[in-house]
Amino acid sequence: MKRRWIAATALAAAVTLLSACSGQSDGASGEKVTLTYANWSEDQTPAMQQIADEFQKANPDITIKVQTLPWTEYWTTLQVGAAGGTAPDAFWMLADHFREYAKGGQLVDMSDTVKANNIDLSVYPKAVSDSYTYDGKLFALPKDFDTNGIWYNKALFDAAGVKYPDDTWTWQDAQDAAKKLTDPAKGVFGIAAPIDAQGGFYNTILQAGGSIINADGTASDFGSPAGVEGLKFWTDLQAAKASPTLEQLSDTEAVSMFENQKVAMYFSGAYWALRFHNNAALKGKVDVAPLPQGVKRATVTSGIGNAGYAGSKHPEQLKKFLAFLGGSKAAEIQAATGTVLPAYKGTQQPWLDSMPEYKLQVFIDATDYSVPLPVAGNASEWQGLATQYLGPAWSGKKPVADAAKEYQTAVDQVLAKK
Amino acid sequence: MTESTLRRGPRRARRWHLHLILAAAAAFMVVPFAWQLLTVFKSTAEVTRIPPTILPHGWSLHAFETFFDTVPFWSMFAVSAGALVLRVGGQVVVAALAGYAFARIPFRGRGLLHGLFLAMLMVPSQLFLIGQYGLIRDLELLDTLPALAIPGLFSAFGTFLMRQAFLSMPDDYEEAARLDGANPFQVFWHIMLPMARPTVAALAVLTGLYSWNDLLWPLIVSPSGENRPLSVGLAGLQGQFGTDYPTLMAGAFVCSIPLITVFLVLQRQFFAGIAGSGIKG
Amino acid sequence: MTSSATKLPRRPSGRRGGVSAPNGWWALAFIAPATIGLLALYVWPFLRTVVDSFQDVPAFGPATWVGTDNYTALLHDPEFWQAFRNSALYTAIVLLGVPIAIALAALIEQVGRGRAIYRVLFFLPVVTLPVAIGMVWRFIYNGDFGLLNTVLSWVGVDGQYWVADPRFTIYAFGVVGIWMGLGINLIILGAGLTAIPKAVYEASALDGAGRVRQFFRITVPLLSPSIFFVTVLSVIGALQMFDLNFIMLRGVNNTALADSKTIVYLFYEKAFVQFHQGYGAAIAVVLLLVIMIATALQFRLQRSWVFYD
Repeated sequence: MKRRWIAATALAAAVTLLSACSGQSDGASGEKVTLTYANWSEDQTPAMQQIADEFQKANPDITIKVQTLPWTEYWTTLQVGAAGGTAPDAFWMLADHFREYAKGGQLVDMSDTVKANNIDLSVYPKAVSDSYTYDGKLFALPKDFDTNGIWYNKALFDAAGVKYPDDTWTWQDAQDAAKKLTDPAKGVFGIAAPIDAQGGFYNTILQAGGSIINADGTASDFGSPAGVEGLKFWTDLQAAKASPTLEQLSDTEAVSMFENQKVAMYFSGAYWALRFHNNAALKGKVDVAPLPQGVKRATVTSGIGNAGYAGSKHPEQLKKFLAFLGGSKAAEIQAATGTVLPAYKGTQQPWLDSMPEYKLQVFIDATDYSVPLPVAGNASEWQGLATQYLGPAWSGKKPVADAAKEYQTAVDQVLAKK
Repeated sequence: MTESTLRRGPRRARRWHLHLILAAAAAFMVVPFAWQLLTVFKSTAEVTRIPPTILPHGWSLHAFETFFDTVPFWSMFAVSAGALVLRVGGQVVVAALAGYAFARIPFRGRGLLHGLFLAMLMVPSQLFLIGQYGLIRDLELLDTLPALAIPGLFSAFGTFLMRQAFLSMPDDYEEAARLDGANPFQVFWHIMLPMARPTVAALAVLTGLYSWNDLLWPLIVSPSGENRPLSVGLAGLQGQFGTDYPTLMAGAFVCSIPLITVFLVLQRQFFAGIAGSGIKG
Repeated sequence: MTSSATKLPRRPSGRRGGVSAPNGWWALAFIAPATIGLLALYVWPFLRTVVDSFQDVPAFGPATWVGTDNYTALLHDPEFWQAFRNSALYTAIVLLGVPIAIALAALIEQVGRGRAIYRVLFFLPVVTLPVAIGMVWRFIYNGDFGLLNTVLSWVGVDGQYWVADPRFTIYAFGVVGIWMGLGINLIILGAGLTAIPKAVYEASALDGAGRVRQFFRITVPLLSPSIFFVTVLSVIGALQMFDLNFIMLRGVNNTALADSKTIVYLFYEKAFVQFHQGYGAAIAVVLLLVIMIATALQFRLQRSWVFYD
């Protein structure tokens, strides 16, 4: 029996070795190569394809294959592929996943490419390019960026006789309007107040004068007076029943509630513009305004980065493609198709023009007071803690200050782990 | 059947309340499907109305249109079907061979090896992901259709099912063939495997099912984006139409039809196969 | 499952006579494909996981040996215990499906015409894509416009947010789990029922035993091997539950998720979302131990209730 086992194992090993030894050609420039470019958004795929086509026109030797993965499987697939040497050549990166990839040496260092192509980094919002910098090196060129604003439903505002939000709005105005807009009989709520970090409580904490995570990334700020104030903005709305409950917002996400016209205001990013624009039911009913101000104006900002895989078989061609992705042409295509707000300075006008019915300038103006989305430490780990610790505060089962303290302790523990 | 014919006379009176209970239970099974189908024909606004309507107002086919416009159904169907055929065919052969040896050829360590097979049933499949991917990569099979099928060729459950089928067969045919000078493979191939046909059908349906449902694995072994099966299309739909229930339900419905059809065609053999496999203990 | 071997002592197929040498080679030839595949694709990855569970394994880069640290951390991790309780509760609910399946199998066995239709209807969920099942049930469970609450409102019962309120999520999963598993269980049990000799029923009918009495005195004991088999499979399947958790709760910001993770979901999250593969591996190993203990326990207990003819 034992011998049979050994024989079987040996056989398996032999097969493995043999196939591993058969060599692979590495791509010297000049030969025809294919690069893959992965994303997670079906909505944006047409624009990505258009960018790839444009690149291929100028580089007939390089074929770009755009592939779209379902969001729920995107990061698992990327992680397994990168660890195993077969990740896509180019792919979308998010700031909160970025650090693990950069630290693990999985991403192409863009420093040479930037130099060789004379890329002027000042064309990108600093907050976004900073979030793709690790150990002083840039690992991804910003693709797009987003700030936050108030998406609102004009029809619901008109029906309740409430004045549309504008740049004079304070927290109090927002709270008052939310309550006035709420009409239980019609199943309409003034605002959606989920436990949302990026579109929600991060912004209000900053507006209250807080800092979310301290500058050196070692501790969070949720338990401070400003942190608690920022969280209270949302828990007050919940307490006043001006928002669907957390349960309702779990069953139907906030953006869907807004699209179904069950909530009048939704604080979120520029990235929804195209989706609302394409929704026939919302035609002529939606617009956007700046976030209300607390002690001061503030919004978090972040963006997707185009990163390259360090294990790519065609590093030279890949760098060429990455430079193109970070360039003005790719940005213009994204803008003209209305896909997203491109990161490249000066290319945003076509985006504004593509959906003239919205005051999209709001999102660009917001960069003046924007703060980078905090992504210190193992961000995917501590971000997952929000609903667990803040849930009791949202549902009124626990004083906000207590929940905030506990949340801070839990986050700080993860940050301390490095 | 003969059994029920025998009982028909005196018990007919009772039969209607058997049917009543069974119909109630069957309704519980079918309602989700019915609800899914009704939803397909509604508009999004109608679906999210509180309370919802039961029957659609407009019987719109819009959801099907959106689905077929978004998901490249036929190319994904081809991948799903190809992987399924490879996996089912391969697994039946591999599992039947091993199951036959476990059932009918004594060898040292048989119990131990069979125990190892069964032990693997207890390990959650997510755990094999990275190791299996590494092997497929080293065999240079990434981006091929076989990559989708290979791990599924080797199934502890399939081996067990086939073993049970072979265990329950009488010795006589095998003896006779052996006396005629047939070698064990000939005995297996020409006599025993044909006799196990119902179990093969059962195994085929169950294996086909797993293959059709695979989601993460096809993504991981197709880094270039080739070979996207229907399950991936459906998952992508969920990301894109998070709020558009009619389209989601249309997708769920259309993607399930092929397998349900195959099952309906094979159901007689399938049930006979499970019954004949002796997995009743 | 070894029971099937013990059940058939009167069929010494292949067991008879001395083990001749050529047999060994034939056996090797028959077993080799399955065994090589099993070793390379299952046993080897599994062993790697066991090794990983004693290491700190980042997503990328070298692992470092940490001894039993992962296990110590695990035992002190409230999240793990919560997942453990969730999986145990889910398993208990899914096990309720076994008596339901026994009763339904017995009923189906008794109806003459229509038997095939019932079997097909009950089997439909088994041949439906899990993603599709998750979508449909999530929609049915929707607290605002779901079918379940609508039906409940007709009879004057207040609706709930079944998959958004952590008090209900595991039960909601459990109902779907029973719904999905009923088809397979029915078929296995139905096969067992067909095998019960009719003479036994006829004899007891002559003794004046009623339907219900027959069910408990004859059907259940004679069916016990099948019941045992179905129970073992249900427990293993339920402890490995992942799909429903993943599909139904992974919406953005589902507040119920934190309290509703199953063990396999937690494994997935640690290993593939939070980049802690070593810790994930430890979770997987502990789960395997739990499954093995649960299975061994059932084999021990079967001696007192499973009846082999």
